[in-house]
Amino acid sequence: MKFILNYIRKEEWSPYVAGILLGLVGIVAVWLSDSLLGASGAFENIAGMIGKAVAPAAFDNMYFNFIMPPGITYGVLLLVGVFFGGMIGAATSNTLLWGKKGASNSDEQWKRIFGPQVWKRWALAFIGAIILEYAAGIAGGCTSGLAISGGMLLAPAAFLFIMGMFASGILTALIIYRKQY
Amino acid sequence: MTNSILALVFGAFFGFSLNKAGLTKYNKIVNVFRFTDLAVLKFMMTALVVAMSGLYALRGLGVLNFPNVPATYIAGNLLGGLIFGVGMALTGY
Repeated sequence: MKFILNYIRKEEWSPYVAGILLGLVGIVAVWLSDSLLGASGAFENIAGMIGKAVAPAAFDNMYFNFIMPPGITYGVLLLVGVFFGGMIGAATSNTLLWGKKGASNSDEQWKRIFGPQVWKRWALAFIGAIILEYAAGIAGGCTSGLAISGGMLLAPAAFLFIMGMFASGILTALIIYRKQY
Repeated sequence: MTNSILALVFGAFFGFSLNKAGLTKYNKIVNVFRFTDLAVLKFMMTALVVAMSGLYALRGLGVLNFPNVPATYIAGNLLGGLIFGVGMALTGY
């Protein structure tokens, strides 16, 4: 018992142990609520809800009416849970940076490559997130919703997505890091 | 109602495991593309193997049914993946 508690307090688990935990959660999620874990869809649900309120005509299309219905869906609640789960994870190992100095740009490797400026971190995160969400919309899911959840049902879509993701990810990292690759 | 609570609980466990595997950090995500730290792959593949064997075994026993399997459309999945990788390496999502 003490061993388990001490393990929970560790900042970084073996990825295999964390992976087993996620796999079990994935199974129970399908079993009890007949749903897959996913993250990117929730943002589209919320965007659809805001869009329908602000500009109903622009959002009255097939995508937001049928494929990604707006509203507080299962996925949105799941995402809220993910946020707090991540916070709990960091809190158990005393690495929670919420409100602390330098928390908005805390990654040493990032600072070495792009510089210490906070605005750069935010700007790049914003641009990158647009790319991510747009791509997730095209593919029909993100790393969690399509690659992991689709992959565990052996959906061919998931493996095509993983192929594309790694191909362009490696290429992008190669361009960013150049000689330091 | 119960489904909403379940969603929050599953989400919390999901976020917890992501945090403990270190996937909430920029360097973990980008280093998998540089082949200097393969934690992301180890984490993803372990989750996949555990979940796929568990799910197929439970379906075989008749305990559960599969939800809608994500649709396959080759061009969309591949193109989406290709754009997604760029964002992933940039932000470390």
